[in-house]
Amino acid sequence: MSATLESLATCFQGLLPAQLFTCSADGTPNAAYLSHVEYVDPHHVALSYQFFNKSKRNVSENPRALVLVPDPDTGQGWRLRLRFSHSETEGPLFERMALRIEAIASYCGLKGIFKLRAADVYEVLGVEPATEERAACTVAERRGALPDPVFTVRALQHLAERIHRADSLEGLVDSILCGLEESFGFRQSMILVPAEEPGVLVTIATRGYAEDGAGAEVRIGEGIAGVVAEARKPIRISGLMRGMLYALAMHRHSTGERPRPRIALPGLPSPESQLGVPLLVRGELAGVLCLESETPYRFHEEDKKSIELLGSYLAIAIQNMQLQERSQDALPEAAALAPVAAPGPVVPSAQPVATACATRHEVAYYEADECILVDGEYLVRSLPAKILWRLLTIHEKTGRAEFTNRELRLDKSLNLPEWKDNLESRLILLRRRLEQKCPEIRLVPVCRGRFALALACPVALSTRP
Amino acid sequence: MIDAELKAFLEDAVGIHLGTRNAELEPNGARAVAAAVEDGGERLVVYLAAVAAERVLPDLEANGQAAVSFGRPVDERACQVKGVFEGARDAREDEKARVMAQWESFLDNLEQIGIGRLSYGAWVTWPCVAVRLKVSALFNQTPGPGTGGPLP
Repeated sequence: MSATLESLATCFQGLLPAQLFTCSADGTPNAAYLSHVEYVDPHHVALSYQFFNKSKRNVSENPRALVLVPDPDTGQGWRLRLRFSHSETEGPLFERMALRIEAIASYCGLKGIFKLRAADVYEVLGVEPATEERAACTVAERRGALPDPVFTVRALQHLAERIHRADSLEGLVDSILCGLEESFGFRQSMILVPAEEPGVLVTIATRGYAEDGAGAEVRIGEGIAGVVAEARKPIRISGLMRGMLYALAMHRHSTGERPRPRIALPGLPSPESQLGVPLLVRGELAGVLCLESETPYRFHEEDKKSIELLGSYLAIAIQNMQLQERSQDALPEAAALAPVAAPGPVVPSAQPVATACATRHEVAYYEADECILVDGEYLVRSLPAKILWRLLTIHEKTGRAEFTNRELRLDKSLNLPEWKDNLESRLILLRRRLEQKCPEIRLVPVCRGRFALALACPVALSTRP
Repeated sequence: MIDAELKAFLEDAVGIHLGTRNAELEPNGARAVAAAVEDGGERLVVYLAAVAAERVLPDLEANGQAAVSFGRPVDERACQVKGVFEGARDAREDEKARVMAQWESFLDNLEQIGIGRLSYGAWVTWPCVAVRLKVSALFNQTPGPGTGGPLP
């Protein structure tokens, strides 16, 4: 039995530890665990070089090496006989390997500490099976045993049909996440979009987590989503736990410290596979789609191209919906409202729309931080906070309870940019934060571009410096 | 040479690989199933599946040079024992329970980090060959800047 290097792509996901054997010029053998083996081309692999060690020194003296790596699908171990070729510290190969390490490091709070120094490229002289590591099954049997469907044309069609039925941005992002579960079996997912604050992503939709997570923020370059946004390239990590343990072991070893806690995005307690997909339209970042799973090898090699295509398709769908909603907001109100159900009557009363709860909520707007706390608990900040504050104060002064996206866009106090203001995504975020944290205050869609502020309790407004 | 604390680490829940080389300095190696520290830490016995041992024994018999790596998946603690080959024999039936217990504890450790046993279902773990080494040096291999440094 023999194999081509191309057929071993699944071995290079880092799910099962690989082993590197080298030998010094004086004939002393060395055996060491490997962080990462990367497929380069049919005749080369690259090994991650993260800190100087005996293996590195050995191949500089004697370029021969042996890597033992198991196939996570079948269990078959493979022996790769190698000869060191060269090291790369820049370029596509280095960036690809560095990105994976950077994402893991960032996830652990170790960005800049746990990093790739070089991609060491080896020529593959031979590939042979390891006799002691026999296959337990064929690839087809292993994949057939997986409970969830993977990327198929049928699944993509289902997702596309679902997306086409969405009639709002909120409906669209929910359709995407719902479709990813129903058509592909990806149960935990989230979509983040660029926030008003430069260099920040904000979560607008999640699925499959105990906490909704809307409003959770991550800086560009931090965590899987942040690194995907920064690199504008998909990241697929299998065996995340192993990678994290490796990074944490290195950090403890070098500093004796525990790293700072990671950013509190919604997430599985023990994710094993993570996939981050940049949603790009003509090079512009519309958002990031993140999927995760407790299954160690959930996102397979053959899914890679489909995932990239899916990312482009979703980005276009999201941007189209944003443009559609925005262009309809710009129409004269009667024309914009004509094709859909008649709007509800403007509520002229100074009383709340509905007062089902007698408990009064204290809503405080902190001007310096541009954030809102309800009964002392953080609700939302930045543009969504300014929008809610504007709605509540107008309602308090005039009793008006219905608002349009168009008037928000024209409202100078909100200071929305003239182009690409992302108002709809901010309204989605605000609506979801209210559902989570203060369901007595709701933003209820009335028709396209129009919504009502529905208060099921009295509110007391106050501003703080 | 190998103290009690290190002995406990080497004999429980670790992945083990034995590295060798031939006369042309080509590296060679195989996965091992278990290990035992003997003679007050002066010697190490490495248990290899017989199908793996036949691949590395010619190297050991020719030049005697060996390197054995140990890694614990759950915390990535790792070290390497360098040694000189003293001999090999078939593992005895009365050693099987201890060897298999070590192997099982390693698989348990992998399960703790989410790697199930399905992949390892057909790996060969018995019969084994016991390879005896005289320990010559110990090195730290836990990931980090000190990797490769000698262990006290």
